[in-house]
Amino acid sequence: MTEMSAARPSVSSVQQWWVLTARTITPTFRNAELPTLAVASIIFTAAFYLPLKNLMGPVIGGMSSYAQYLTPMMAIQAIAFAAVSAAFRSAVDSVQGINRRFKALPIGRLIPMASRLSATMYRCVIALSIALLAGHVIGFRFYGGTAHTVSFCILALLIGATLALLGDLIGTWNENPEATLPIMVVPQLIFGLLSVGLQPIHRFPEWIQPFVRNQPVSQWVIAMRALAGDSTPAAGAVTWNSIGPALAWILGAMLILIPLHALVATRRR
Amino acid sequence: MMTLTVKDSQLVVDPPTARGKGRHRRVPALPENSLRRLVANTGVLAARLLRRWSRDSATLFASVIMPIVLLVTVDIVLGEGVTQITKHDALYGTVPLIAMVGIMGGANGSGISLMRERTDGLLSRLWVLPVHRASGLASRLVADVFRIEVTTAAVLCVGLMLGFRFHQGPLAWVAWMLVPVALGLAFSATVITISLYASDKVMVDATEIIWIVLMFFSTGFVPLHLYPDWIQPFVEHQPVSLAVEAMRGLSHGGEVRGPLIEMLLWAAGIAAAVAIPMALGYRKASTHG
Repeated sequence: MTEMSAARPSVSSVQQWWVLTARTITPTFRNAELPTLAVASIIFTAAFYLPLKNLMGPVIGGMSSYAQYLTPMMAIQAIAFAAVSAAFRSAVDSVQGINRRFKALPIGRLIPMASRLSATMYRCVIALSIALLAGHVIGFRFYGGTAHTVSFCILALLIGATLALLGDLIGTWNENPEATLPIMVVPQLIFGLLSVGLQPIHRFPEWIQPFVRNQPVSQWVIAMRALAGDSTPAAGAVTWNSIGPALAWILGAMLILIPLHALVATRRR
Repeated sequence: MMTLTVKDSQLVVDPPTARGKGRHRRVPALPENSLRRLVANTGVLAARLLRRWSRDSATLFASVIMPIVLLVTVDIVLGEGVTQITKHDALYGTVPLIAMVGIMGGANGSGISLMRERTDGLLSRLWVLPVHRASGLASRLVADVFRIEVTTAAVLCVGLMLGFRFHQGPLAWVAWMLVPVALGLAFSATVITISLYASDKVMVDATEIIWIVLMFFSTGFVPLHLYPDWIQPFVEHQPVSLAVEAMRGLSHGGEVRGPLIEMLLWAAGIAAAVAIPMALGYRKASTHG
């Protein structure tokens, strides 16, 4: 008996997580994933800034420049793009059957998900850095001091984690890589366009204003804008009023998504 | 028990053309590479793709629902601002623009399904059957024509509900419906080519970036003079803008011939550039799994 139990290697959750994370990150050094991610972040900034600068510039209500107004939204778009890939990857994993194999191995039920999440966070960090660099080029600056700047980045990454969890869940659940792209990209564009990230609330038709104001992207934009600050006071102050709803959306989404992940990960067919 | 010899490979299984008595008929077969075979095989394979797409919620979502929702959103967000500047309804630009976006998004899905069929071995299986070699690619393009028309019609219906109208008569209406086909096919050919060479992840990202650039830097999104000077030449002469302008001319009014010819040149150029890599890539995908 002792011999048998000695022959069984001890499993470490941390090591398993690390191996599975490395499995997703290593290929990014060899294929064109990182360049595409960088290009995408830059493109998103240019795609909204260049056409809309002259259209929206006069109506943004007191902020110093359209770049200062737009960049929080660009950061969210770049991060969302990185999260879409989480959905794609988890769908591919499901289709190829590697998730079924994980279920047969002594691995914690959330570890494959956690490792995919870490790999996505790695992409989110890159996407955010490039989006902020692109923002800097068009004229975006942090006015709020170190604490606010760090909070800005942490908030952005928390948003990334939430979207990655959502994308991962959708991918694992529908097991269809072809479907994940439209399912993720269209809401990304719609929530982005119908938010206060591009233009002030009063520019929208009245009937849709309640949705525009309260939907998560708008609340995230408001919080990030306050954290970035501005040379004029129009960006809003950092108070619970401006930051609270953004955190509440993240917390609420996590509370729903993580149990659902455990459910989907152990589902049997 | 039937044993096949080299001679027996002349056997064909199409009963309608077979003449003779008994169960084992020997007829002179059409050569596998004959034009009639190409047409027949392309028809069968294109029907297969269309049947598959029409039952696949992802393709329907990408080609019909997504463009409709996007059109309504863009109209809510930018419609008023752009209309004030152009002095005519922004829909004359956004409807063609979103139709093109839906067409490009749908091409993405069909590129992924091509990759899947390659991994599943369907392409290699078709390669060893007496099927015309060109019918695999030809059928994809034929099916894409139908997909393009369905997307265009869906977007047009919603546009008509929002206030889009044809002021140039029924012939212009028909021409309006056909303009997206040329560019849509060129884009499909590009996506097919990328998906035959690149990894799935890169293909999806790359094509998404392409259509996002073409959408946001086009005269269907905001009027040309609002773009910075240095980028205006690109915005004016990129294919989607040209398609939008030709379609604007065919619906609201304005120049049609200039943009249309330039767009057809783009489509022909893209097609010429990808044709050979696409054919070689398809052969490789079919023979090397």
